[in-house]
Amino acid sequence: MAVRSRPLSPHLQIYKFTLTMTMSIVHRGTGIAMYFGTLLIVLWLGAAALGDAPFQVVNAIFGFWLVQVVLFLATWVLFHHMLGGIRHFVWDSIHALDPMGREWIVRLQLAASILLTLAAWAVFVWFK
Amino acid sequence: MTDRAAISNPKTHYGNGKAATRTFIWQRMTGALNIAFALFFIWFVVRLAGADRASMVGTVHNPFIAVILCLLIINVCIHMRIGMHEVIEDYLDEGPLNDLANRANTAFSILVAVVTILAVAKIVFWG
Repeated sequence: MAVRSRPLSPHLQIYKFTLTMTMSIVHRGTGIAMYFGTLLIVLWLGAAALGDAPFQVVNAIFGFWLVQVVLFLATWVLFHHMLGGIRHFVWDSIHALDPMGREWIVRLQLAASILLTLAAWAVFVWFK
Repeated sequence: MTDRAAISNPKTHYGNGKAATRTFIWQRMTGALNIAFALFFIWFVVRLAGADRASMVGTVHNPFIAVILCLLIINVCIHMRIGMHEVIEDYLDEGPLNDLANRANTAFSILVAVVTILAVAKIVFWG
């Protein structure tokens, strides 16, 4: 059997945006963001391995307010992608695939990811 | 590239079916494990955010925590490599550029895992 090359993804401009489609794009976007975000873990643990001076520099960078904003957004990205994965498990098990179900599960995902992010920062950072 | 004869022939198929199923299963297994690892990672960050190096070394020195950190980064790197592979597959035609992108993806994933594990090992064995 001959193998044909796989088709590319069609261009986005031809679609009318729907909620589920937008969340599918956000799922991919958050995944790509965390792909490069793993470099933050490398930076943190790598500096800790190197010694006191590099570790203090990295800690100072992570403490800078603009980087704190990035870390806050990264928390949302992690929760949102995780809940998106759980949504895919629900869909894999043939649940919530009807028009009502798929709209609501996506709304629930967005609400839960925002609430979890705010709760995590409130409990562990703001009102510690 | 695919010609008209290949497309009109119903016996042709897209890519490697076995690899596709294996990828599907691995992405879901690593994804499910990542839920547990994410909770551990949040605990780890909350405990050590802004801490001095002595507390970091003290925490990572625990063999359970060191091993979980290593398993976490391996699991994450497998998951993110498959994810990026699917993105590449969607936007780059099969050819040299596609191959190059996939190799860069694999290299980056291995690099992230290896450097993290080396850092953890350094902290565990040499403080």
